[in-house]
Amino acid sequence: MAVPGWLYDGSSAVRRTVEVRASAGGGLDIEFADGGADHVPGEALCHIESRRDGDVYGRTDIAGWRLGLTGPVGEIAEALPGRQKYGRWIDRTGLVPSILIALAISAAVLFGADRFPAAVAPYVPASWEKKFGDALVGDFGGRFCTNADGQAALRKLARELSSDSDRLNIRVVHVPIVNAAALPGGNIVIFDKLLEQASGPDAVAGVLAHEMGHVQERHVTQAMIREFGFSALISVLGGSAGSGIDTLGSLHYSRGAEAQADGDAIVTLRRAGISPAPTADFFHSLAEQEKIFGRADAALGYLSTHPLTAEREARFRASAVNGTAYRPSLSPEEWAALSNICH
Amino acid sequence: MNDMQGVSAPAEAEPESAFIFEGSWREYLPIALTNLLLIVVTLGIYRFWAKARERRYLWSRTRFIDDRLEWTGTGKEMFIGFVVVMLVLGPLFFGVRLLIEALTIRGQGGAVALVGLTSYLVFFYLIGVAQFRAIRYRLSRSYWHGIRGGSSDGGWGYGYQYLWKTIAGGLVLGLLIPWKMANLWNDRWNKMSFGQHPIEAGASWEGLMGRWLLVYAVPIGALILTIVAGRMFVVAAIAGGSPGMAAAAGVVAILIVYLGFLLASLSYYAAYYRQMVEATSWGGIDFVFTARTKDWLKLIFGTIGLIIVTLGVGFLFVGYRNWSFAVRHLEATGEINLDTLLQSQAAAPREAEGFADAFDIGAF
Repeated sequence: MAVPGWLYDGSSAVRRTVEVRASAGGGLDIEFADGGADHVPGEALCHIESRRDGDVYGRTDIAGWRLGLTGPVGEIAEALPGRQKYGRWIDRTGLVPSILIALAISAAVLFGADRFPAAVAPYVPASWEKKFGDALVGDFGGRFCTNADGQAALRKLARELSSDSDRLNIRVVHVPIVNAAALPGGNIVIFDKLLEQASGPDAVAGVLAHEMGHVQERHVTQAMIREFGFSALISVLGGSAGSGIDTLGSLHYSRGAEAQADGDAIVTLRRAGISPAPTADFFHSLAEQEKIFGRADAALGYLSTHPLTAEREARFRASAVNGTAYRPSLSPEEWAALSNICH
Repeated sequence: MNDMQGVSAPAEAEPESAFIFEGSWREYLPIALTNLLLIVVTLGIYRFWAKARERRYLWSRTRFIDDRLEWTGTGKEMFIGFVVVMLVLGPLFFGVRLLIEALTIRGQGGAVALVGLTSYLVFFYLIGVAQFRAIRYRLSRSYWHGIRGGSSDGGWGYGYQYLWKTIAGGLVLGLLIPWKMANLWNDRWNKMSFGQHPIEAGASWEGLMGRWLLVYAVPIGALILTIVAGRMFVVAAIAGGSPGMAAAAGVVAILIVYLGFLLASLSYYAAYYRQMVEATSWGGIDFVFTARTKDWLKLIFGTIGLIIVTLGVGFLFVGYRNWSFAVRHLEATGEINLDTLLQSQAAAPREAEGFADAFDIGAF
């Protein structure tokens, strides 16, 4: 029994009436009502769609070739391919198992994406980061403060804190905000208003030790990887490239990273014999100012990148050991020179 | 072949339209729900396959004269297209970001502005290219009678047209935007074809200016009116000791301005699409788009209402509603000789809608 149908050959729009039979060697034999015949190999056939008046098949090797079967397929059913619904993988696996597998993979991906930066950061060569950081920072638009005595005092302060501080590029920049930042490639910048607001060298030492902690723990590298990876992920999920990549400039650290840098800073200060109390006082005074001026005040930039919490202040305060003979990190002359580094 | 086959679109007087949408929301709901589910569990990656399923359904329920359309695009090709474009554009965006950042830190304001402006221009250029290639892709995957459409043009030239006409159209307070829109419509559609017949568009922007000016006039007029009326009302309300009334009047005034603006824009868009489609033809078939401002209003508020009433689930039907709206208001007249309608020779693009996807834009 032949199955009635219609056919588009993919090169002309003419719809031809056909009769279809199963071929002895597999595939279909097609006989045209207006004369002529054709043979379709079974492996070239694919299911296109089900219509009310029957199923439509196509050929994987001829675009636009369509065969519609309008009668009961009966005996040629075995020669016809199965239909696709959700996509090949899902059809093969089944909808529910596919969903469960996808859920598991998604959870693993999200978990991995969270851990990835911290895991990879130690393996990024310091020299790459250095090149990248120097290219990014350059001479800070000529805003580096260059007073020689001030720079010497800053260098001494850094050496008090860490023996290998010479590989860091620690600079004061003449930008009127209260802030300090660890930038890629071991670049640490202190904005000059922070020197004005700090009560003395020990508070600056605390802030500097915190930023050195970020460098030490490779938080800067982690943040770069996270920002880039995150924006790449967002662009896959959300679809637009412009939206995600915009955030790179502001390298933000997680709460955990901030706490870790604080911990490092406290250890550093203790080892150097510098009192943590002035740092706690500095945080306290910033928090007080925030209550008056609000966080948006540009002069309080430090707060936007280092959210102050009572715990942070308390942690520094609690790290002071009673009876320890703390020594000032810089002499009054050196502190005066550092304070004047931009003048 | 001896029997000449030809099909004709019904004359305008007949009630039957050449384009008929035969879908039903009950039929589409399972597709929409499983799509949503799969998109969620795959962190969004399934959305390419979801789009393909959605289009396969919508196209297959759209009848043009004597046969249904067919969508042959696949999720896989859209996914690959997206990944490829991201691999090209991602590093480019990233590099420009870094460059701007480095220049900003160095205080090179002029260079930042230059780089910013250049990347802005490149961005606009690529939006034009993306729009063109999205239409080309959709036509190349749309079949009717086993015949598809497409374009043998890559859209790179259209990118330039788009760039300079967008800039020119924006001059003089944007008054030339109707000129730009009509012009670009012709630029892109004249490069498209279906089968071996080219699509021809000869739209003019004459007659659109009145409604376009309304887009400017309504908010300005409403603003002046509300300022005048509002002052009187506020003075009276405050004198009567009722600042709450004054605030309410303010809210009402803002709503009126907003609604006026929406209405004016819609009336412009309705006229724009009617005029563009009417000036477009293909192989002896002329098209008409019948949606008037009130139809667009019904579409938009219907969609918003549906989303609200269904607590958000209705957003699954936005694509469905838009498609059925377009098909229901599209009509065609004329006759196609099927014997002479042959397969398109334009190369079928491979990157699918990667570009358009990257910029998050629609095509038509």
